[in-house]
Amino acid sequence: MSNLRDQGAEFWAKWDRPRRVTFVIASIAVAASLPFAGNFSITNILNTPISSYQDVLVYPVGMFVLMALGLNIVVGKSGMLDLGYVAFFAIGAYSMAILGTHTHLNMWEIFPIGIALAMFAGVLLGIPTLRLRGDYLAIVTMGFGEIVRITALNTQKIGGPNGIANIPSPPSLFGLKFNISHPNSFFWVVLVLILLTIWMIRRLSIRRPGRAWEAIRQDEDAAELMGVPTLKYKIWSFVLGAGVGGAAGVVYASKAIFISPDAFTFNISVLILSCVVFGGIGNIWGVVLGGVFLAYLPERIRFISNARQLVFGIVLVLVMNFRPDGILPRKKREKALLTKDDLGGKND
Amino acid sequence: MHTLISQFWQLTFSGAVQGFIYVLISLGYTMVYGVLRMINFANSEIFMVGTFATVVITRDLLGHPANGPDLHGATLIFTMLLCLLGSMLVSGLVAMLVELLAYRRLRSLGTNRLAPLISAIGMSIILSESVSLLTEGRAVPDPEVLHKSSLATILGANIRIDQLLVVIVAPIMFFSLQRFVNHTRLGKGIRAVSMNEETAKLMGININRVISITFLIGGLMTGASAFFFETVYEATKFNIGFNIGIAAFTAAVLGGIGNIRGAFVGGLALGLLETYASAVLGSQWKAITVFIVLIVVLLFRPNGLFGEAVQQTRV
Amino acid sequence: MTEKILELKNLTKNFGGVVALNDVNLHVNKQEILALIGPNGAGKTTVFNMITGVYQPTSGEIIFNNKSIVGKKRFEITKGGIARTFQNIRLWGDMTALENVLTATDVHSKSGLVGSLFGSIRSRKTEKEATVKAHEILEFIGIDEYGDRLAKNLPYGVQRRLEIARAMGTGAELLLLDEPAAGFNPAEKVELGNTIKKIRDAGYTVLLIEHDMSLIMGISDRVAVLDFGVKIADDLPSVVQNDSKVIEAYLGVPTDAS
Repeated sequence: MSNLRDQGAEFWAKWDRPRRVTFVIASIAVAASLPFAGNFSITNILNTPISSYQDVLVYPVGMFVLMALGLNIVVGKSGMLDLGYVAFFAIGAYSMAILGTHTHLNMWEIFPIGIALAMFAGVLLGIPTLRLRGDYLAIVTMGFGEIVRITALNTQKIGGPNGIANIPSPPSLFGLKFNISHPNSFFWVVLVLILLTIWMIRRLSIRRPGRAWEAIRQDEDAAELMGVPTLKYKIWSFVLGAGVGGAAGVVYASKAIFISPDAFTFNISVLILSCVVFGGIGNIWGVVLGGVFLAYLPERIRFISNARQLVFGIVLVLVMNFRPDGILPRKKREKALLTKDDLGGKND
Repeated sequence: MHTLISQFWQLTFSGAVQGFIYVLISLGYTMVYGVLRMINFANSEIFMVGTFATVVITRDLLGHPANGPDLHGATLIFTMLLCLLGSMLVSGLVAMLVELLAYRRLRSLGTNRLAPLISAIGMSIILSESVSLLTEGRAVPDPEVLHKSSLATILGANIRIDQLLVVIVAPIMFFSLQRFVNHTRLGKGIRAVSMNEETAKLMGININRVISITFLIGGLMTGASAFFFETVYEATKFNIGFNIGIAAFTAAVLGGIGNIRGAFVGGLALGLLETYASAVLGSQWKAITVFIVLIVVLLFRPNGLFGEAVQQTRV
Repeated sequence: MTEKILELKNLTKNFGGVVALNDVNLHVNKQEILALIGPNGAGKTTVFNMITGVYQPTSGEIIFNNKSIVGKKRFEITKGGIARTFQNIRLWGDMTALENVLTATDVHSKSGLVGSLFGSIRSRKTEKEATVKAHEILEFIGIDEYGDRLAKNLPYGVQRRLEIARAMGTGAELLLLDEPAAGFNPAEKVELGNTIKKIRDAGYTVLLIEHDMSLIMGISDRVAVLDFGVKIADDLPSVVQNDSKVIEAYLGVPTDAS
């Protein structure tokens, strides 16, 4: 079977720069106008029966695509199974909720703080655990995800099981209003975050960190013996993933206005992992596709939403057994990272 | 702290009961790890299914009403024995099913090491979600058959009959298993595969069969544990395996994963530790205690008390 | 006077109760090819594993360029100038041949994560230099035409050579080659022998584990023999070839014992 991902790559390779730029801008424009699709008779089949379509685009769809991209840095790029990814999402969300209700900082100011705290948690968890073999890491991260939730549940100062309410909406930015009746603004923020994450992963993938992760994923001992400081790069990958999760959490809390520990269960970690696995571990476009598909479908088709988790379980087993590389597998092409053109250019 | 000192023996007894429940589940992790060098992620759900087997047998199969009278004599023994064997059988078969659906095909394909982990997690979600849908996510009570009478008070510890049963029968099962692994042909096959799969294959051992049987035995032990759990706590829920699974896994790591004797010591130690910690910190922090134990063990004694190295160092 | 690049002093390694290496003294001179031979299980790969930090010696010292490297992290040892190949090929199969070498050249790269992310001038420059260097190495080993192919799809012989190229990519002065000619036919062996000599002549030092006697005798400057973890000979190839202890180790008990 011909590989969809490779066909796309072939097209891309044939295109010149103006054509590529046009394509990218057009794709972003289409993505950015998705919230309006519900208003037209041709595209209104996208409308979701229970929650409003515009809200669904932010959460779960946008958020899960963003988090799946973040988790993909950990699982897809460096091959470490993180089953507690929801913890970083929770840390971002609680940073927003606590600081937003107790200080005068607004969402834009809390944003970097939330990311930093999530990354810091990533370092704290990563340093002791990333030396471990893959399956141990999986169970430790799974435990960590629960610990964060249980701690929130049992700490009365941050609302315990009742969570935190009245989280302020972000102040307007570039004339865009952010509140409960303006979900589209949140969607565009998430979209920008998704694009930034994609840019970051692409940048890193073709350079030294990407090679180091790839080497670690394929044969960690060989990587270490060929001079790759494996622990350092594993921590970097873990921390970058954590940062993306934290960013998603901050935006989520300010959009949701109310958060409680219930929103940060193990199920969310599994869902995000399913998105990564379904589309194609390690491939950005596969992950985006997986995120859109698995987050949107249960919202659109009601009977799936009741058995949502079950569907994800089945997806994990079936995809792993019959299409372990996902719907859009990672690159199989034989091509150098830098083309001859890149080399031929003058020094800059 | 005060509770810990004043009720020390009571806590020790309860901790031992909890510990033996862990011992049997951690066998499910340790044995599978021995032959596959992989964590059986679905073992927590195998346990959960076992608890439901006990409920279904007492409530539906034997028609014992939820608030019915306690049983005595031969009926009691028959009911409990049937529940024990039923739970073991169901868990054992589910464990074999997990191996078949989540591990076998991937093992023959020889895919990357992430794939079997993810498919096992998938299996565990399928199991817990199916039960969640069937029970509408509610807690399910298990009809009491054994009257929880107090037998004696030793050093201030109240010795209840159901708890005593666990403390006596669980070790018997454990030692029978150990004998089985050490002295039977099949047990030797399991040990051979644990030591070196390639050599075992050359010796004419049917690897798939041995792995399948290892899952079965791990499942039988986990199912027995599920029965004991039900006898003591008399209720279950679709997500009951999650925390118990992490705890039993921690017990296996504490003892040295892959090591059967380690599961015994690790399970018992964790049960006691957890109970003492709950008395001091409050039971809501129990899961966190377990997690901290896991991290500390992996950091400072990754081989556990008796086990093999956890870190990858083979070249 | 030749200069020692590597020196093993009283090196001993026990695995549980088994003595894998017993009090081995060995040195490698700069820019020579030293072959380490011996029957299977003699402890040759154990020597490699200890030099590269995979195992810690039970006792003894490993001196590289006048400094002890015992207890150093594996990637630090590689960065310090020792790189190896593997008896059972361990390339990164899903990377191209060029990427395999590039990843090794990263050892000395100054380009960090932040620089890579924002495409700093230094980062771009190092990327370019590394790619040029990687191509040079592939060219030197004679497999540059395979640069864009995935390592797992390469012919066996090319994979073996790529292992050497990758080790050279780390910029190491001392290369440890673990049976580089395993599975080669006689013609390929001769060709590989010439490559190894070329590597030495380019300024590298080579420590080599090999079983093929004609290859060893053809290219080695010196031969050291291990038997049951003990060094039983260490001399010029022609001398070792006629050493009675070596012959005994390879052929078993002397004939008069029967």
